[in-house]
Amino acid sequence: MTNPSITKQEVQFRLKSSQEYGQASFSGIVSLALAIVLLLNSYVPSTGAFKPAVLIASLAYFVFTLLQFGVWALIRRDLIRSGAIKRSTRSLGYVLLLSLLSANIFIATSAFQLVKVKKSAAYTLAAYAWLTTVLVFAVSALNLFKPYVANGFLTGMFLLIVAAVLQLAALLLIARHADKAVLPRWMWAVAAVLLLTSVSGNLFALFLGLLLISKLRDKGHTSGSKLGEVVERLSRSSTSMLGLLFILFLLTLSITSYLTFDYGMAIANNYSLILQSPNLAYPLGTDNFGRDLFSRIVFGARISLVVGLMSTFIPVVIGGVLGAISGYYGRHTDNVIMRALDILYAIPGILLAIAIIAAFGASTVNLILALSIGAIPTYARTMRANVMLVSTLEYVQAARAFGASDSAILFKHIVPNSIAPMIVKSTLTIGTAVISTSSLSYLGLGVEPHIPEWGNILKLGSAYLETHAYTAIYPGLAIIALVLSFNFLGDGLRDALDPKLD
Amino acid sequence: MIGHATATGNGFADRLAAIYRKMLLHPSYRLLLLLAGAPVTVIVYVAHQLLKSKSGYTRIVEETRNKLLKSGYMDELFMEAKDQLQRKHRFFEQTVSTEQTAREAKQIAARKFEETVQAQLKERLSSESGLKVTFGETYHSLAMNPFFMVLSVIIGLPMYLLMAIYANPYVKYIVERLFMAIFVIFGVAFLVFTILYISPMNPAANLLGETATAEQIATFNHLYGLDQPYLVQLWNTIKGILTFDLGKSFAGNENVTTAIANKFPVTLTLTFISTLIAVLIALPIGILSATRPNSFLDYTFMFIALLGLSIPNFWQGLIFILNFSIKLPWLPATYNPDNWLSAIMPIVVLGTGLTAAVARMTRSSTLEVIHEDYITTAKAKGLARRHVLWKHAVGNALIPIITVIGLQFGGMLGGAAVTEKVFNISGIGSYIVDKQFIPDIPSIMGGVVYTAITISIVNVIVDLLYAFFDPRIRSKMKQY
Repeated sequence: MTNPSITKQEVQFRLKSSQEYGQASFSGIVSLALAIVLLLNSYVPSTGAFKPAVLIASLAYFVFTLLQFGVWALIRRDLIRSGAIKRSTRSLGYVLLLSLLSANIFIATSAFQLVKVKKSAAYTLAAYAWLTTVLVFAVSALNLFKPYVANGFLTGMFLLIVAAVLQLAALLLIARHADKAVLPRWMWAVAAVLLLTSVSGNLFALFLGLLLISKLRDKGHTSGSKLGEVVERLSRSSTSMLGLLFILFLLTLSITSYLTFDYGMAIANNYSLILQSPNLAYPLGTDNFGRDLFSRIVFGARISLVVGLMSTFIPVVIGGVLGAISGYYGRHTDNVIMRALDILYAIPGILLAIAIIAAFGASTVNLILALSIGAIPTYARTMRANVMLVSTLEYVQAARAFGASDSAILFKHIVPNSIAPMIVKSTLTIGTAVISTSSLSYLGLGVEPHIPEWGNILKLGSAYLETHAYTAIYPGLAIIALVLSFNFLGDGLRDALDPKLD
Repeated sequence: MIGHATATGNGFADRLAAIYRKMLLHPSYRLLLLLAGAPVTVIVYVAHQLLKSKSGYTRIVEETRNKLLKSGYMDELFMEAKDQLQRKHRFFEQTVSTEQTAREAKQIAARKFEETVQAQLKERLSSESGLKVTFGETYHSLAMNPFFMVLSVIIGLPMYLLMAIYANPYVKYIVERLFMAIFVIFGVAFLVFTILYISPMNPAANLLGETATAEQIATFNHLYGLDQPYLVQLWNTIKGILTFDLGKSFAGNENVTTAIANKFPVTLTLTFISTLIAVLIALPIGILSATRPNSFLDYTFMFIALLGLSIPNFWQGLIFILNFSIKLPWLPATYNPDNWLSAIMPIVVLGTGLTAAVARMTRSSTLEVIHEDYITTAKAKGLARRHVLWKHAVGNALIPIITVIGLQFGGMLGGAAVTEKVFNISGIGSYIVDKQFIPDIPSIMGGVVYTAITISIVNVIVDLLYAFFDPRIRSKMKQY
């Protein structure tokens, strides 16, 4: 547009094909939206005044949003003029990285991508691994304002700092050296350290360690591992990486909370602190028994993740095996299995879960089983369709011609090649499982009421909707954020694993 | 297809015979056909045997077989099979005992021998016309006889009804689909009953309280038939479901079917209205997104849709009550059948998930169709954009969308329990939830099974609907 020598289509193409441009606009818009939401929340209509803490946060978001839009405009200008982003524009990314101080991960993640010209899967993973640890550290540090902290708090925080420093070092080393075709031998040490830090639940570090090891063993003979390819494709979509970041953040937080959070705060009644509004010591307030809502939500993440993952994993395995057998053997086997599963399919998941829980009582184990059984048919159908497709391929015929047994053909050749759609489907349905879990808990049919599960917290909070609405709003926001993250990740994975794109 | 080609002479009898022959090819239909027309089958069988011996068919079979046996063909086949097996074992380096090899070789030889006999027989029969007699052809020749026709219609009416169903591909499809639905309904009844039967819960103890004596519990169990064996209880339950009489509920002593009949319409009406509204909103949004892929509008719509998928119903309901009933007194917080304003929030909450799912599905399926070759052709012909989109793309994109609507409708009906609890609606979902703490077996049974039946019926309708929407499915139906 400013340059008359290129057409409108070319401008469009340059902008659309630039990853940084898309990420900059995305993070700018999201950060602007958050700034507005914070501003609206800081206003108290009854007094006409503003809450200072929220107002400051909102202003910080506005400042970084403005900076982000400025950088966005520069990127746009660079792309239209020369088709590439200038070094000076990229160095502005370091300024944007400061947004991390205001917990603005949207701008921070896009800044990480902006400062590096050539982005490898290893670099992306290293950046996200470090971000996760820093976020967990920051959230755990909120406990400092409490009257007392957990016994393991200092140890936990120290370990988190060590992990953050190590991961930052790894990030810098990888940024300098990971682009080389053959990695230097001392990368083994980096990989080992990263694997060690992944004990905290930081799976980014685990993936990165595995990626580095596979690259080291490979010695530049092949073009790269499958994992690296998937990560590279996945990292093109900001939303799915943010989804993964939030899921792994929660995972790390729930694992490190064994050291850094005090379970007593979440379950012990404290009648001197009933229904406190959010303040520094109790960032999300307290409930009707004086329990810290923040700690409760952190511990609730553990239950939600475990129930969500288990009630997806069990039907994936059972449904996958049934679907694979059904699709491979066909005819009568297929008929019997699929007709039996049709019966299960006719009862809606929640209703079947209610019936099973009615029969066997409400408990976490029963809840997982009830949700699992209802989900078997969907996975069996997906797997069956894939297996039927794959079993007609030549390599299966070749295996058969070599005299391989049915089970070897099925589990060595067919199943590994038809697993990708199952991964995508399961990621998308973990979210549904999380919603079902909390819904059933809300009805009093899920997790035992004394356990701080998000649905249980919400059920208690819903009684105080008129006076203390936050007790019902925050756990709901946590559920939405987790489900949304899984949905974003699932969408991203579908695009990344879609064989049609190959 | 084959029947039509070979049919000659008397038109009606030929058609009948063609259908008869075609049904004999299909294993399960063959069984049904022979059973449904058992008296006719007996007649045709006797006639078939008579015809076979009269025409010398049996004799020829024996002759062919003996000739081949005498020529030493069997031994030849046996040696060949044995040799092949031995070579195969050597290649795979397997050690197999000689007896087993011999046994396998014998089996292979016998199979091949039978194949050769049949092949030779076929060759001979085709050269000497008038000898070949199959079961279907016996029926054909009998059907030419008006006396047999009348007799067979009288004694084998079910068989002719079955043939009438089979003759029309649409009717056949519908009947098969209905049969499947009935199977599923019985399966659901069996499954739910079994789950509740093996339950370790004791409703008698829960209802009568801690102080109940063993005698009181036994009386309670006897009164509700809980002391009867499994099969008797199962039979009574299935009979109850079919006759709409599930007896009295444990608590409150009310008639279960009447209670369900009172509550079910409430849930069904709310679900139906919210489905309708959801589809009306979601279709235009999905199509709009698909026509402008990767634009700001598209991203915004799809983000909102994903958000809609991620919001738990009960939380959305609570937030609505907080904002529209407590902060702004616009809508009543609890549902009241006489006040239509009170239905707005439940309908919106119920429909959010469906709207989101349908909008996403519409977008992806329209996008897929837009990139098909025939759309390019339509554009190349110079048709208007609007015309291409509405006439060529949307119609074809509708099929997966209908599937999603059908599936989601079932999910909504099942998941309505949560929304009903939030807005205090006395629908079927909250009824089941209220009854499950005892557990009140007849009520839960009735609630779950009747919901599943409704969903099965909706699924049948959806399946039939798109069988008539989609020409591809129609042509597939005719072929098989």
